Amino acid sequence: MTSNPLPGVQFLDPAVLARIGNLELVARTVVEGFLGGLHRSPHLGTSIDFAEHRAYMPGDDIRRIDWRLYGRVDRYYIKEYEADTNTNFNVLLDVSKSMSFGSGAVTKLDYARTLAACLAYFANQQRDRVGLITWDEDIVEIVPPSAKHLPNVLHALARATPQRPGNIERVFRKLAEQFKRRSMLLVISDFYEDPGKILDAFAQLRGRGNDLMAMHLLDTAELEFPYDGATSFEDIETGERIPVIPEYLRDQYRTMIRAHTERIEKLCGDQGVDYWLFDTSMPLDYALFAFLSRRQFLTRVR
Amino acid sequence: MSFLAPLFFAGLAALAVPILVHLTHKERKDVVVFPSLMFLSRIPYQAVRKQRIRHWLLFALRCLALIFLALAFARPFLDRPAAAAPVRSLGARELVILLDRSYSMDYGDRWSRGVAAAKRAIAGLGGSDRASLVTFDLTATAATEPTGDKGVLTAALTGVKPGAGATRYEPAFKLAQRILADSRLPRREVLLISDFQRGGWDGRDSPSLPAGTTVNQVDLADAKTSNVAVTGVDFRRDYAEDRERVAITARLVNRSAELRTGHSVTLELNGRAVETKQVNVGANAAATVDFAAVPLPAGTTRGVVRLADDALPRDNAFYFAISRGQALSVLVIDGREGAAPRSLYLERALEIGDQPSFRVTTKRLGSVTASDFAGRSLVLLNDSDLPGGELGRRLVEYVQNGGGLLVALGDRAAPRDRPAYASELLPATADAPIDRTADRGGTLGYIDRSHPIFEVFSAPRSGDFSTPRFFRYRNITPAPGDQQLARFDDGHIALLERKVGRGRVLVWSSSVDGIWNDLPLQPVFLPVAHQIAKYAAAYADERPWSIVGQVANLPGIFRDSTGPGDAASKAEYVAVAPSGERIRLEGTARRSVELREQGFYELQRAGSRGEPHVVAVNVDLAESDLTAVEPQLLTGAMIARAGADSTSSAIEASTPVELERRQGFWWYLLAAVLLLLVGETLLSNQLSRRIAVPR
Repeated sequence: MTSNPLPGVQFLDPAVLARIGNLELVARTVVEGFLGGLHRSPHLGTSIDFAEHRAYMPGDDIRRIDWRLYGRVDRYYIKEYEADTNTNFNVLLDVSKSMSFGSGAVTKLDYARTLAACLAYFANQQRDRVGLITWDEDIVEIVPPSAKHLPNVLHALARATPQRPGNIERVFRKLAEQFKRRSMLLVISDFYEDPGKILDAFAQLRGRGNDLMAMHLLDTAELEFPYDGATSFEDIETGERIPVIPEYLRDQYRTMIRAHTERIEKLCGDQGVDYWLFDTSMPLDYALFAFLSRRQFLTRVR
Repeated sequence: MSFLAPLFFAGLAALAVPILVHLTHKERKDVVVFPSLMFLSRIPYQAVRKQRIRHWLLFALRCLALIFLALAFARPFLDRPAAAAPVRSLGARELVILLDRSYSMDYGDRWSRGVAAAKRAIAGLGGSDRASLVTFDLTATAATEPTGDKGVLTAALTGVKPGAGATRYEPAFKLAQRILADSRLPRREVLLISDFQRGGWDGRDSPSLPAGTTVNQVDLADAKTSNVAVTGVDFRRDYAEDRERVAITARLVNRSAELRTGHSVTLELNGRAVETKQVNVGANAAATVDFAAVPLPAGTTRGVVRLADDALPRDNAFYFAISRGQALSVLVIDGREGAAPRSLYLERALEIGDQPSFRVTTKRLGSVTASDFAGRSLVLLNDSDLPGGELGRRLVEYVQNGGGLLVALGDRAAPRDRPAYASELLPATADAPIDRTADRGGTLGYIDRSHPIFEVFSAPRSGDFSTPRFFRYRNITPAPGDQQLARFDDGHIALLERKVGRGRVLVWSSSVDGIWNDLPLQPVFLPVAHQIAKYAAAYADERPWSIVGQVANLPGIFRDSTGPGDAASKAEYVAVAPSGERIRLEGTARRSVELREQGFYELQRAGSRGEPHVVAVNVDLAESDLTAVEPQLLTGAMIARAGADSTSSAIEASTPVELERRQGFWWYLLAAVLLLLVGETLLSNQLSRRIAVPR
């Protein structure tokens, strides 16, 4: 994840978006603003890729004739593009209690649900089927993928409430049975789990031929550990407490969290899982841009 | 660095408070809710709870504030590496404190600083150390013998005040040299406390201190000085209606780089202010003040020209004693009755001039009586026979009692008819004169220019004795004891001096009438006539004032003695100093008094009820030039002579203001404490805000 804002892109403050109750409105605002930003940048490409030429058939739109090719071969050909239509796009959203943490105005869950809504809206705009699965230590809610389920997805996101600790391994083992058809699966979580177990869980889904993507959301406080003064730290999921003098272990903590994220990223790379680490203080459209541009780049590489 | 109240350092124990505060990790009551403790729980518990000081900057601020607070209450002050800080491990020392008491030490607060430096040196004496207090100006005086008793030294110091003398370093170092040479203590030290007047050292003084002597100096000189002094007075006498008046002009010098305006200058005569004038004196310039002429009363008039006080008051008053001009009474015996007068040139020459003036009475030999000699300063036998009989005897007595006799041997002075007593007064004289007419006259070939008569002609172009022509003169044969003052070019005596009793006889072997020579027609005649007459009459210029340090020779003043061993010198005298101190001079050993005070001395024969002889004494004005010599130059010269292992160092003198400044660190320390506490407050508030718990 890069931390440099890109020119031409209008960044949206997650804290502002969090105050908008209507997720559809939020998603539309973010996505349309983001697209507007894409159009202004000539280097950002397009979402439609060229696939092949075929001979012109009567009834075809003459605007699609490749006139340059006609100039060379003196025959009419039509350019055809590979469109990502008719794909299932599922968001697997972690709604465990740890996702309720936020040092600022936005919790990780707020950020995650906004991000999920935006991507769902975006996919729906491309006529993909969108679905949603929320989970913690078990599956909480499932919205099956459908081109018409965007409102359901948005409602489910709005209803999501963190209540229990998470257990990704068990949940993903269950979910492996859910996807009969190859799907794009976007996992959004804070991944407080051993990287090995996370990858084991991913392997459950990836083995089914699904295109798996992972978004790792962490609050700034989780990354920087800016606390001061001797105090007790309480685990938000287990309620366990330990006395801590933050200034003494800040460096150690930062080293460990960095090692954790790097380990997950490496293992994801090894298994062909796209991985992004997002700081929830980053603007939403920046996260969206980072995701889509990298996704596009990775698709071209493959 | 020392401390006036070191007990306050106990307050440093309060440093334990911030140390404990910073080591004690007080656990906050609120709990930080965190998404996961999976990383925190992996860090060893000991590392989390390790007792280490947190917030080093805050800790340092708090500690510094406490340290500065304790320092401020301990009242630190700078201690100089002075003699006041003896190195006891090197053994006992012999310290000689040389305290300058010249009158320039009265300038500003120099004296108080000097005394304070001496007191510090005394206070710094170790148990086995000894010290001597030597005060000096023109001379050096040991105020104490070498002693380790600080009380004795302090008491001696208390009684010392600046005098009226000028600075001389040589006597002080010589006395220090003697004291140190007599000492058997292993370390020798000289502490020179002075304002280092440039006039006190000419670079040639050569005292040699014992080898290994350490010379420390306390320089009391001020970087910027300002002083106006009266440097002298001039008198112009005139006579109106037989009354003598004198107009006095005072000279002032401003020895500073600033213009001094509106200085009031007052002339006081016999204790009464006669006239006051305002004067402006330019920077480093001189000025004169003319006072109106005033009639001189009978007797001696005591005068003072007084300036308004400035930082150096001693040279603001100039004392002088002046009396009516004493005209020399001259009796001219111009041959016998009936002869042509031949004293015209001489009379005219003596009537000119007022320093002194001559009252000339011309008589014929036959009309002279014994009473004519009374009160005469000089009897001039101008080409005349010697009086005989009783008159001749009275003439001899007159001369023997101090009278002056000048004899001009012209053609009428018949040597062969001289009375019997003549050989006592005059040398043998040949009857026939020597005639130089054939060779167009002789000239003067030798003149004793070291003699008081001709001393004034010793400078170039100050008297042409080659032009007078002498056609005739007498051949005189000197007796033993006679002094030849001038000779003609052929070797014959022109002027001869003979001492007779307390008087003087001068014999001129030619005439003064322009017949045997043309001397009266030459320019040199007038001054020569005056010089011969003054010398023969034993006239001495009256000195209106003397300088501190000079000596008044009382037998000379009262004309009681003609030299050592004289019987008349057994008289006793009394001198009264300006301070009122009476000094009785008895016996032949004490014939003079040293003038050590500024003002008027009164000198008198013991038992006399007449008017005393007044001597005005002024300070040496060289001392009023406050320019200082570099102390290292002076002490360096002493050290160079004292040996290679001798050392010199400067000790800074302390004024009360400076002492306060040296002890005034506590103000800065308290200010620093205040700043530190402000910084501590700001920092601790900032740290408290940073501990906000995210939720």
